[in-house]
Amino acid sequence: MTFPVTQVIFEQDGIFIHPSTDSSEFQDSLTSGFLRILDKDSSSVVQWAQCPGDGRHRSVEQQQSYETEWDMVNTVSFKKKPSTNGEAPERTSGAFLFNVSDLKTIKVKTEGWCRLTFCLKEHVTLPDLHFHQGGSDSFLDSLRGFLLLTQSPGDQSFLVVSSQSKALSQSFENLLDDATFGLVQKFKNDPYTTTLGGFSKVTNYIFDAFRGPEMAHRQRPAEEVADLISEAIPGLEVNQQEEPGFEVITRIDLGPRPAVWRGEPVSAEAWAEHIDAEGRVQNVAQLKEAVFKGGLCHAARREGWKFLLGYFPWDTTREERKGLHKRKTDEYFRMKLQWKSVSEEQERRNSRLRDYRSLIEKDVNRTDRTNKFYEGPDNPGLILLHDILMTYCMYDFDLGYVQGMSDLLSPILYVMENEVDAFWCFVSFMDQMHQNFEEQMQGMKAQLIHLSTLLRLLDLSFWNYLESQDSGYLYFCFRWLLIRFKRELSFQGVLRLWEVMWTGLPCQNFHLLVCLHLFVCACLCALCEDIMRAHYLYLPQFPHPQDLPSSVGEILGFHADSEQSKLDGSEFGLLDSPQPPRRWHTQDLGEDFIPNGNGHLRETHDVYKLAYIL
Amino acid sequence: MAAKSSLFKVILLGDGGVGKSSLMNRYVTNKFDAHLFHTIGVEFLNKELEVDGHLVTMQIWDTAGQERFRSLRTPFYRGSDCCLLTFSVDDSQSFLNLGNWKKEFIYYADVKEPDSFPFVVLGNKLDVADRQVSTEDAQQWCRENGNFPYYETSAKDATNVAVAFEEAVRRVLAVEDRGDHLIHTDTVNLHRKPRSSATCC
Ligand SMILES: Nc1nc2c(ncn2[C@@H]2O[C@H](COP(=O)(O)OP(=O)(O)OP(=O)(O)O)[C@@H](O)[C@H]2O)c(=O)[nH]1
Ligand SMILES: [Mg+2]
Repeated sequence: MTFPVTQVIFEQDGIFIHPSTDSSEFQDSLTSGFLRILDKDSSSVVQWAQCPGDGRHRSVEQQQSYETEWDMVNTVSFKKKPSTNGEAPERTSGAFLFNVSDLKTIKVKTEGWCRLTFCLKEHVTLPDLHFHQGGSDSFLDSLRGFLLLTQSPGDQSFLVVSSQSKALSQSFENLLDDATFGLVQKFKNDPYTTTLGGFSKVTNYIFDAFRGPEMAHRQRPAEEVADLISEAIPGLEVNQQEEPGFEVITRIDLGPRPAVWRGEPVSAEAWAEHIDAEGRVQNVAQLKEAVFKGGLCHAARREGWKFLLGYFPWDTTREERKGLHKRKTDEYFRMKLQWKSVSEEQERRNSRLRDYRSLIEKDVNRTDRTNKFYEGPDNPGLILLHDILMTYCMYDFDLGYVQGMSDLLSPILYVMENEVDAFWCFVSFMDQMHQNFEEQMQGMKAQLIHLSTLLRLLDLSFWNYLESQDSGYLYFCFRWLLIRFKRELSFQGVLRLWEVMWTGLPCQNFHLLVCLHLFVCACLCALCEDIMRAHYLYLPQFPHPQDLPSSVGEILGFHADSEQSKLDGSEFGLLDSPQPPRRWHTQDLGEDFIPNGNGHLRETHDVYKLAYIL
Repeated sequence: MAAKSSLFKVILLGDGGVGKSSLMNRYVTNKFDAHLFHTIGVEFLNKELEVDGHLVTMQIWDTAGQERFRSLRTPFYRGSDCCLLTFSVDDSQSFLNLGNWKKEFIYYADVKEPDSFPFVVLGNKLDVADRQVSTEDAQQWCRENGNFPYYETSAKDATNVAVAFEEAVRRVLAVEDRGDHLIHTDTVNLHRKPRSSATCC
């Protein structure tokens, strides 16, 4: 085996810390040290350590020492080096080391010289670094190689690390190309693992966010779930051990499962009550919440979806919407004419248009063909599906048509029953989903990382188990995320789930939690079959809806709405294996249903409970 | 050793819409569903069969043909025992792309000896009236690219489907035998990851 190479990205001597905040000691207690950015296994750390002696020359010995030290870094930790001799005051011998991925903000202060204060996730603040001899700019520049630093809008002296760090996407790049699913490695090196391993606060946070009527938590839709979770950290009860800086988070049991209520679907009449005389929608927040809780009756969908998707702004009057609709109709047909009027001759010279068309033709024939709306050989629904997708290529030629888009359009067209409205609703939906379909699939990558993070946070040992199986279990969720569970639920189930998700409640990435829930359910299906082997985790077909715990349906409100809740499953199990692993008929997954004496099963059950809270 | 069922991983590659999923579905369930969705990512099914006295569990991996999903399918190439290169006889472009599929597979599967790796070529949709690729052209390609066995199949009417998958297994067994003769040691399963089959333990 080759040894992992440690690369020194940045190094500078003579960076000072004054260990005491007591200003009287200021000049005397300055401690000079070296600051480094080290890169190893594509994980990067920032290290500050005191210079022994004059600190100008590093001995070989020292190099080794930071090497070994590095290996010990598994968490955000302050290391108290044993002082080399009795004379050095102990408080000046502090050294620190953190993974750049843990950095949240940097405070930059210039008072004669530059002073940087690092604030890590979990609100750990490190001692100020004083750049008496300059160099802070080049240090920050080096950091920018790994992180996206942006000035805080509120306070110019704060640099905020964007959640989508370059390093993160880079490591995902490796992940995708590395057949060993490098994630294992990546996340093992990730200091989060240890620190957040005890996930209790996180769970409580999620718990809170989904439970009671207190809506406070719902006010932060813009946050990514991963961010939500790191925000939840300060609330954690941390056992401060003797050694300061080392935190041990103890796992707290979740306690009893809260009752989950689903509301009634919002009827067309109830919707109409929210419309004022001029046609503006009143009490939008309340309306959205009602939709979140119960979805919409089918009769309210055609109107409701236009607002939920953002095609119609909530505060427009009926008149304004009439005008908007007129303009949008013209615009649609103008774009439609563009591809309609391309002659065969022209198309022969336009390979991209040709490719889009051929893909669309292939896929329209393979989209929801068992649904009445798209059934049979010459169904007008198919022509509409085709035309809208072709027109979307004109609307966004760079993106064009990517597989999966027909799945996203089909339910919308089914509800709208109108070409123009379906097109513009689809455009709005695609605005949300765009990144997932782009060349680099950044959106998908970020989501898969978030998902893994979530899972790890919720249940470290289960996550560890999956990782150790080399199963590529994340890929298993790819389709779920790309087309938002479109093929995992019955058609009616999709309509319900989507409208619930479009409310943006209770958080922007609600779908990740849904995904996690389904994932855990799927794993449990596998577990109950005693086939918890890596390759079975792929579960090429998702369990039949009837075989899912009824809680999934309940949570999503499928059962509350009996007129449309026929889980016919016809969209399901496209690939029926000869002996489908479907021995699981229990209506719910009771405690007693989980075999005892197996750690994993226990763990999983907890996740399940968590997911249930959704 | 002979009594034990071994697990083979067979992967289906080829352009979108050539009928990979339909072939897998036909072989495993003996059904043809004209309303299948296009594949996103990868899917697989297992099929147990007996070939020349060997009990084998074939794990068939079906991939998505679209270019955009490449980064999703390539991680799964590794550990494949056989690769089925698929085109559709009514789509000349899909035939022209066979070479690219082969290249992509060899690169990402990290095949140690590409020249002796068992590929099988399938020309699907034999039942369709207007062919664009002739049998001769396809056979010639197979000869020139490593003497691959070639089958013309129809997932729709089941022509040659089982034969083709069984040939895949024979190819793998043949390679293994050769390996055994060459190595003559206890470390037999060199070229197969010790993925345990369902019957072990
Ligand atoms: N006539 C005929 N049609 C077929 C045959 N095999 C597949 N098809 C049809 O061809 C279309 C594409 O088949 P799929 O099995 O979805 O193709 P695929 O290769 O899996 O495509 P991707 O999943 O997009 O990569 C479908 O409409 C099938 O019904 C066949 O042998 N004969
Ligand atoms: Mg397919």
